[in-house]
Amino acid sequence: MSVKYIPVQWNRSKWFYDAVMLAGVLLFLAIFLFAAPGLVGHERPISAQIHNARAFGACAFVMLSIILCIGPLARLDDRFLPMLYNRRHFGVMTVFVALTHVSFILNWYFTFSPNPSEIENLLRANTSYSQIGGFPFETFGIIALICLLILAATSHDFWLKFLTPPVWKRLHYLAYLAYAALVGHVVLGILQDQRNHALTVLFLGLAFLVVALHLVVWLRERAEADAKGGAWTHVSSTKDLREGFAKIALLPTGDRVAIFLHEGKVSAISNACAHQNGPLGEGRIVDCLVTCPWHGFQYDVRTGRSPAPFTERIPTYNLRLRGDLIEVHTDPNPPGTPVDPLTLPEGAA
Amino acid sequence: MTLPEFLLLLLRIWGSIGTVVVLIFLAWGIDRIDEDAQGAYVFRLLLVPGILLIWPLVLWRWWQIETERVAWFDRYRPSRRHGPAILAMSAAIVALVVIGLNARQYWPKDIVPVQLSERQ
Repeated sequence: MSVKYIPVQWNRSKWFYDAVMLAGVLLFLAIFLFAAPGLVGHERPISAQIHNARAFGACAFVMLSIILCIGPLARLDDRFLPMLYNRRHFGVMTVFVALTHVSFILNWYFTFSPNPSEIENLLRANTSYSQIGGFPFETFGIIALICLLILAATSHDFWLKFLTPPVWKRLHYLAYLAYAALVGHVVLGILQDQRNHALTVLFLGLAFLVVALHLVVWLRERAEADAKGGAWTHVSSTKDLREGFAKIALLPTGDRVAIFLHEGKVSAISNACAHQNGPLGEGRIVDCLVTCPWHGFQYDVRTGRSPAPFTERIPTYNLRLRGDLIEVHTDPNPPGTPVDPLTLPEGAA
Repeated sequence: MTLPEFLLLLLRIWGSIGTVVVLIFLAWGIDRIDEDAQGAYVFRLLLVPGILLIWPLVLWRWWQIETERVAWFDRYRPSRRHGPAILAMSAAIVALVVIGLNARQYWPKDIVPVQLSERQ
């Protein structure tokens, strides 16, 4: 099965998503620049250039905070899932906002320094790495920017397939390094000079919200996985299944399994599409084939195989019924292994 | 050579090699390893920054694909190292906030301002 790459896969919902995001950025900048300069603590007169730099820097911080909150929020509540699907666009726009912040800083502070290279001037400006007060916080900003550039530059579908999902996912853990570095950049930079504490409180609140959401969701999922000990683990009640759709469950192994109900019979396959790890459990069954919502790859839910002449395969799982509970064996079958669907008793679903 | 000069030199070398990898990979290599890229050209421009930034990883994966060194089954299996990454980020943020607030001359504790250069 082959889907030719295109630069950006636009659709109506993505246009809407990006329009809302752009409007949010403009609104934030307008509030920061014009509506609430007192809130952000500009006690001393500053130039428009510095004011702009701070506005774009603050905007980038808020954007990255929101991006990091989307993942755990989507796990806590399905209503946040639409924000998750287009998160890559959010990330790319964050990088452009961050680059604007950097350009204001370089153009204001380092253009007229002795060396022709603004970056060299930036690196030379403060080398007091041995002290906390006056620490060269710019270093944290540079680390965050490099991480964000890598994330944005590898956000195209090609990279996920080329690097493989495990490598791509590990690379994109750089988002956490970027955020920690950004916190360091702000807390050792602008927050060192804040007499009006509104910005300090807002900043800390946002940073700790990101930390709290991640820890809460991680601990919750870990507890759920621990509770499902043993080779067989219950994943759903028969009453929770809907004809033609799937219920997605997290196994103790960390894998996600999609349990489909089709014509009164239940089948389980891996939730990860073989193409680019798309969420198969969010696809619909038509003629025994589930279609991946990302790129349209199809699989027979009874065998985990794409219809001929295509050759993609995904793992299947064995199921059993205990009362009205459906249990799945945590060990996946080799990709493409046929499994007899579980027939539900009359009126069970 | 000072540290900033060394870092800039490193950046230039990295970028120069990356440019060569960009040209070879996008003009020739990508068609060999990904059927979805065959006949698709405009999207390749979007790959340029990524290849420039992580060209060693690109070369490593290209070599892996050419020599078929990754088992098919491993291609889809998602990473499970989410927990350690979250814990590391959380610990770093808490540490940085505590250190940063402690170094401030205003709230949470008001101290007499000191010229930083005099501390050294």
